[in-house]
Amino acid sequence: MKKIVILILLTTSITFGQKKLPNLKLQDINGKPVSLYNFTKNKTLVLSFWATWCGPCVNELDAIADQYEDLQDNGFELIAISMDDSRTKSRVKALVNGKDWPYTILLDPNQSLKRHLNFANIPYVLIVKNGEIVYTHSGYNPGSEEEIIEKFKQLK
Amino acid sequence: MHFKKYIFTILFLVSFYVYSQSSQKLNIGLETIMQYYVDDPVTGNFNGTNRFRSNNYFKFDYNVSKFSFGLQLESYYPQALLNYSPHLDKKIGIGTYYAAYKNKKLAVTLGYYYEQFGSGLILRNWEDRQLGINNALRGIRLKYYPTNKLNFTILYGQQRVGFKVSEGQIFGFDTNFDASSEQISLLMGLSYVGRYQNFKPLYTIDADHNRDFNPLTSAISGRINIAQGHIYANLEGVWKSKDNLVELGNIIGNKAFYGNALQLEAGYSKKGFGFTTTFRRLENMTFYADRQANGNTYNELIINYLPALTRQQDYSLANIYVYSAQAKLSFNPLNKAGEIGYQTDIYYKIQKKTFLGGKYGTKVALNISNWYGLAADFLTPYKRINTKFLAFGKAYFKDFTLEVRKKLNKNNKMIYTFIHSYYNKAMVEETHGEVKSNVVAAEWSHKFTGYKSMRAELQHLWTKEDKGNWAAALAEFNFNTHLGIFMGDMYNYGNPDENHQNHYYNFGGSYTKNGNRYAVSYGRQREGLLCVGGVCRVVSAATGFTFSANISF
Repeated sequence: MKKIVILILLTTSITFGQKKLPNLKLQDINGKPVSLYNFTKNKTLVLSFWATWCGPCVNELDAIADQYEDLQDNGFELIAISMDDSRTKSRVKALVNGKDWPYTILLDPNQSLKRHLNFANIPYVLIVKNGEIVYTHSGYNPGSEEEIIEKFKQLK
Repeated sequence: MHFKKYIFTILFLVSFYVYSQSSQKLNIGLETIMQYYVDDPVTGNFNGTNRFRSNNYFKFDYNVSKFSFGLQLESYYPQALLNYSPHLDKKIGIGTYYAAYKNKKLAVTLGYYYEQFGSGLILRNWEDRQLGINNALRGIRLKYYPTNKLNFTILYGQQRVGFKVSEGQIFGFDTNFDASSEQISLLMGLSYVGRYQNFKPLYTIDADHNRDFNPLTSAISGRINIAQGHIYANLEGVWKSKDNLVELGNIIGNKAFYGNALQLEAGYSKKGFGFTTTFRRLENMTFYADRQANGNTYNELIINYLPALTRQQDYSLANIYVYSAQAKLSFNPLNKAGEIGYQTDIYYKIQKKTFLGGKYGTKVALNISNWYGLAADFLTPYKRINTKFLAFGKAYFKDFTLEVRKKLNKNNKMIYTFIHSYYNKAMVEETHGEVKSNVVAAEWSHKFTGYKSMRAELQHLWTKEDKGNWAAALAEFNFNTHLGIFMGDMYNYGNPDENHQNHYYNFGGSYTKNGNRYAVSYGRQREGLLCVGGVCRVVSAATGFTFSANISF
């Protein structure tokens, strides 16, 4: 038990070093292969990992969509990367358009980014600046999208 | 002794990370799930060998210029968690490793890799730690991208099972071509997957008459994806050569059958409205890396991905009667040849300031999912079959879901869900019974000032069959964006047997920081199916503590 507590304290105290975002091949919303770097180079933006079956993910993206137009005026940009595999991939387009989301949508149907970035649960959010990961957050509670928006303002 | 060697490796790699300047290039991911099982009046005394068990994963990835190397150590200490495959019962071992090179046109991987061709009907390798699945291939894979409109993949490998690999050898080839124009997106693909496994007299019966035994089973698939403006359509077909029937662990030497799959998806979407429908037919589409693993309960050695095409339900009562795809061919104990059916989803946003829309608009989602066995003439004593192409056989599963999301005001949101379903337990689980049920759920989420929030759920299931009615409730409170607690209960008050009117409760909390997550809970789990991504695993009734941590740096 003591060892577990020490492990937790140790890992939470290690400052998060700048990690490079891997340049993986993903798909666009039509299934066409695209390179992640083409979307992230030379800018600061938010990457949000979600799936059609993940309730909190959809809630988080709904909450940010409501303010997106205003946020864009201040340089905010979000790319929503769907982890839907072939079981639920067909719902992505219908859901995105049905909800009228303003984001660029990319698909990672065989979890390659999940393996590279080592996250277990979604929603998972990164702020990326010039190809480097400067902030990560896991999970969503109503209102926590404000923390991401604040952090973006600070890090931009 | 062996164990110490691994601990030293982990400590070395972690200190390499901490002390070297190259922490930018080394990524470490740790995940642990620990459980302690207790005796309980409802789930019974724990009769297993170790009350404390843990699944631990240590993943290291190192990138330098165009090369990358990785290692995943796994430790199931002192034994894997309940309901995981006994092939994983090893105190510590090497799960996967790889060395890779990548430039603009070429990517080469040696060691373990994960690949998917098309939608996975013919080949898919993935890892799901909750289900205990890791069917990565170990061998070599080459990917070539001569232009950004054409790519080729060629691979060879043996499939991972526990800490070993399959006897069967897998060969694969895949190509994708982008023939899009400015107005239409048009993608085409072609794949081949072959599984070569020799004759095994020990597991084969009727071998004297084995005219039908071919060590190589081949599958080929073609696909087209079209999208234009608001419409899209995808078509994929798979043909599988003769593969021997496996019954009760025995390979039938003189009976082999073809398999095929057809999947058609189409959709239309525009601002505020989305529609998608998928039709799929599967006939004898189970494809294993080792023939005798056919039908194993741990989802091991499966080459392809055949998920149930049904709605992922969020609520615990809606996950009692869950469908899994019925792709196999069998004559014993039941006549089954595959499945045929469809699923339709509709998303609609009722505009704000209308009567039904209210102040903020109302979002509605509808799902209809119907699955049937294949209609066929089974000549069971002779193990011959005659299938019809489009005929629908016995109903296996039917589901109708209506979900309504409504924002009441700045701080309050509601989600109402209604589900009506039919589940043919007799055919799907190969036991007995048919269950018709209705589930109603209401969920409320509330935002306080600062970053505090809470969420509450109430659910009810009505059925006259099986275990009768259930009621469930869940409450979650978040102190800030890092810390939260929850408690919930599922109560089978309607069970016709008064002695089994049980509560299945669960409570705990979680802490997240910088993308790392720690969670602890205590609860009573009912016997049933745990399904992730349409693939299910049986879980037994158990009660105990769970601690999990997911850390990456």
